[in-house]
Formats: sequence, structure tokens, C-alpha cells
Amino acid sequence: MGKRWGLFYTVALGISLCVAGTAGHASAKEVAYLSLADYTGPIAGLNVPADMGLEDFLKQTNAKGGVDGVTIKFIGIDTRYDVARAVSAYKRYRRTPRLLMVNSISTGIGKAVSRLIERDKRAQIVPGDGEFQAHIGRTFLWGPAYQDAFAATLDWILDDWKKKGNAGAPVVGYVSWDNPYGREHLRGGAEYAEKIGIKLLPPEFFPPGTLKHDVYLTRLANAGANYIHAGGVDPTPTNVIRDGYALGLTKSIQFTADYWGPTALGVGVHAEALEGTVITSFYQRGEDARNNAFITDQWKKYRGSMDSFNEVYGMGMSWGMTFVAGLKKALKAAGYDKLEADDMYKAYQQLTGLEKNGIQGPCAYSPTCRLGSKAVKIYQVKAGKIVPITDWREAPNAVSLHSFK
Amino acid sequence: MRALKTAAFTPILPGLVMGVLLWIGPAVAADATLEVIPAETFLSPALIKKPVSFKGNGFAPREMITIEMILPEGVTVKGVNKGEDVGIAVATADDAGSFSAAMQPTATLNWFFQVGWTPLLKPDFKEAKPLPPGDYRIRATGLDSDRTAFSTLKIVPPPKKKE
Repeated sequence: MGKRWGLFYTVALGISLCVAGTAGHASAKEVAYLSLADYTGPIAGLNVPADMGLEDFLKQTNAKGGVDGVTIKFIGIDTRYDVARAVSAYKRYRRTPRLLMVNSISTGIGKAVSRLIERDKRAQIVPGDGEFQAHIGRTFLWGPAYQDAFAATLDWILDDWKKKGNAGAPVVGYVSWDNPYGREHLRGGAEYAEKIGIKLLPPEFFPPGTLKHDVYLTRLANAGANYIHAGGVDPTPTNVIRDGYALGLTKSIQFTADYWGPTALGVGVHAEALEGTVITSFYQRGEDARNNAFITDQWKKYRGSMDSFNEVYGMGMSWGMTFVAGLKKALKAAGYDKLEADDMYKAYQQLTGLEKNGIQGPCAYSPTCRLGSKAVKIYQVKAGKIVPITDWREAPNAVSLHSFK
Repeated sequence: MRALKTAAFTPILPGLVMGVLLWIGPAVAADATLEVIPAETFLSPALIKKPVSFKGNGFAPREMITIEMILPEGVTVKGVNKGEDVGIAVATADDAGSFSAAMQPTATLNWFFQVGWTPLLKPDFKEAKPLPPGDYRIRATGLDSDRTAFSTLKIVPPPKKKE
């Protein structure tokens, strides 16, 4: 009798475990998002708050039951800005079930991983390399291409020059990192300057990590620059302008920066030197971001005090909103059981016009466009705060002016 | 007669197939190889200018190759989760399936020296935690073919300074 009951309990337990296992498996519908990030390397200062924004947004989405019952798993990998580590990490995670999107934190990583993304029929998002708009594939940009945003800055410069009652066109200097990112702005940006009659001086490039920028700035000033555009990821542009201020150049030369220009990080340290600096951005910055309750409510919920708030957090939320909107479309088209990475690639191309609670302009992804948005806003540092001086405006298409091989 | 032919051919066919497979096998999947240059080194700033490099062959033509360091038990690296290997170089095979690659400065700084980074994007050697001396398995993997090759990098203690 004892043996029989023992056998009965064993079989019953086995069946129960099987049923429980099946039920558990059936309810755990999940997709994955891979961030090839930099959490402890050279651009961690901006990537950490950006991924915080994304991760918190996904947490919030999951807490509300996910997207049609499907939760999103965030996989964050610290590449320390290194291409070799990023490629190796992609190899490790590429077979993750339903890995639908990869975010590559640098232009170099994006270029290296793009070959594998194409082969795996997946999609990735990258910072601002215009080449991915010139050659349409599975790589999408976060916002406008670098050269488009630079062209928008040149438009503002020309307007500013005329508003000040000057005749002719201004002379503009360009100084940035000596790497693919630094040069990308001019691949189309230089052609745009010529098109609108701005004289662009020979660019000055310096290695990332340069401590002082006096020699480059002095050369541009001596060449007659009326405006100097300082590239690099913050705090680099902050430090370039700091040096310009120390040389007395900010009195006579207007400094501008791109969308990685001074954030709360730079302004918090060198507010006086940055006063008057103009920043072209595709995402809300400074006071705009601080006044956007959609961003700050989430920050306060997950991060607490606003003391350490950085506006790049909102940009990370925007990545999350795009992913969630894409997932909704992909699930509708394919259903969870048949969902593949390729469905997300197709879905991203249908996100044209997606609004992102004012964080950035409407999404421009389409079958012929890989730009996260086309709109930029011009900001200026005034009294130690970053404030908008224009509304959203469409950046010119400078990518189309360049011949990409 | 037909049955006789079939009966005679039946035991021969598998043998023929096996023979053909054995003959073409090495040509189809030649063993991939990997060489680490130098195979033995000590950690010094000289590795930034003259980095550890890699040569290999036997991979698929024009495929991308990742070269990874397999961390021995007990060795941890900043930014790398336990159980993960560390990518230290990438390469693309040529038409013959051969490649050569060198570690980039960021890879040497991040994974051999484990430096910190200042807000100015300068490596911070005060925070460095160099890899301990030992034998480190290195693996090259073809990302299209999945072919792998292994070798070893021996990290030795730096020579003692002469007094």
C-alpha cells in the first residue's frame, strides 16, 4: 500500500511540476533589448543617465503589464567604449530569444556591428552617422544625422550674423575630435556651408583626451573666425569653450556646439565660461527638460532628488518610447509566437510621426528614412541655465549633399 | 538479375560515400589556427605603441572575427560580468580566410590595465588594476562560420628594476 501511494504521489508531483512549468513558460512572454553601452569608460557621464532613462521607462512599461502582455528584458553591457568588446558582447547575446533591438553607443561600434546586424536580419540604433541615412539598411539614428544638425547650426549662424547688422557672410571655424565622429559633421556639412555662402575655415582636429585647446582655437581666431563650432561629447566641448574664454575669445567670437555639447554636466562646472554658448539639440535640454513633467515624474519616481538630474535621461526615455511603439506594431503584425527580429525592423519603418511627449521632434523613421527625427531646437546658456532660443525647426538635409562611397 | 545488382551495390555505396567524405573533409573544414604575438609579455605602457597582435587562418573568406580572452577562475575585469569572455580585438578575414589584428589602445587600457577614465577622457592609471600574471586562453571565432581557434597569452611579472 505504502509503495502504491508513494508511486501515486511521485506521478502526481511530476504531472503538477510539468503543468506548473508549462503554465509558467506560457505566461512568461518576453522580448529583449541589448544596449552596447559605456558605463565606466570615457563617455559614461552621458551614457549612464541615458540608459537610466531607458531602463526606467521599460520598468514602468513592464510594471503596467508590458506591451500586450509581453515584457521587455533590458540587457546592458559595459563596453567601456571599446569596439572589440562590443562585437564580442553582440556575439554572446545575438542568440538571445526574441532579441529585437541593439543600441550601439558609438559611431565606431555601430559601424562594426552593422555587418552582423544585417546578417542576422535584426535592427540597431546608433548616434548620428549620416552614412546610415545615405545607405539605407537596418541601422537607425537616434535623431538627425550629425551633418544635418551642423547645417541647422550654420543656418542659425547666418541669421544671427544678419540680425547683428553685418554685411556678407560670417567666417566659421570647426574644432572637434580627430575620429570618425569628429569628421562626420563635415561630410555634407562642409557642402552646406558652401551652399549658403558661409566660409568654413580648414577644420582643426585634436585627439580625444587633449587637455588644452589653445593652439587650435588661436589658429582659428587668427584666421578670422566670427563663430567657432566646438565638437566632442560633453565635457569636451565645455573644456574647449573654457579655453576660449580663458583666451578672451568668447568676447568677440560666438561659440556653438552640437547635440553632445554642454549639458548639466558642463554648465555645473564652467557656467561663466559657457555663458552665451549656443547648442543645437534634437532632444530637450536644460530648463526645457526640467519643465517636462513626463521626464521629471519618471526621474523622481525611480531616482529621487532632481539634484543629479541630467537631461540626457529624457533622450533615453525616447529610445524606450520608440521601442515600445515598435513592439506594438511588430506584435500586431506577427503575433508573439512567430515574432522575429526582422518584424521589429519592419515595424520601425512604420513609426513615422510618432510623438514623444515633447522630448524630441516627431519620429521620421520610414522605408526611406533612418533619422530618429528631423527637428532640432537651438538653446543658449543664459545666466548659468540652458534655455531655448528657438522652437523646433527642421534641420536641412546635408547628408544628400555629400557623396558617400 | 536486377536484384543481384542491387544486392551487390548496397554494401559498396556507404563505403563510397564514407570515402568521399573522408577525402573532402579536411578541405571543407580545415582546422582554424591562431597565433598570439608575442605569446609571452609583461604589462607595460609600451603595449600601447606596440600592442599584442594576432594572426590566424582557416576561417571563412571575408568573415568578421572576434578575438576574446577567456578569464581564468577568480580573475575579474572591470565592466565584465562573471562568466563572460572579454573581446580584445576584431578582424576581417581575407579571401583566403586569413587575418591579422592588433589590440587597439582602448582595449589594452580597458582590459589589460583596467584603467579608470577621467571626465576629460584621459585614462586614469591611478585607478588601474592590471591583470595578474598567468596563462590566459585566447579564442578567435568566425562570426559567419562559427569556426574557432585557440592559443595562449602568458602574462609574466614585470622585470625587477636594477638597483
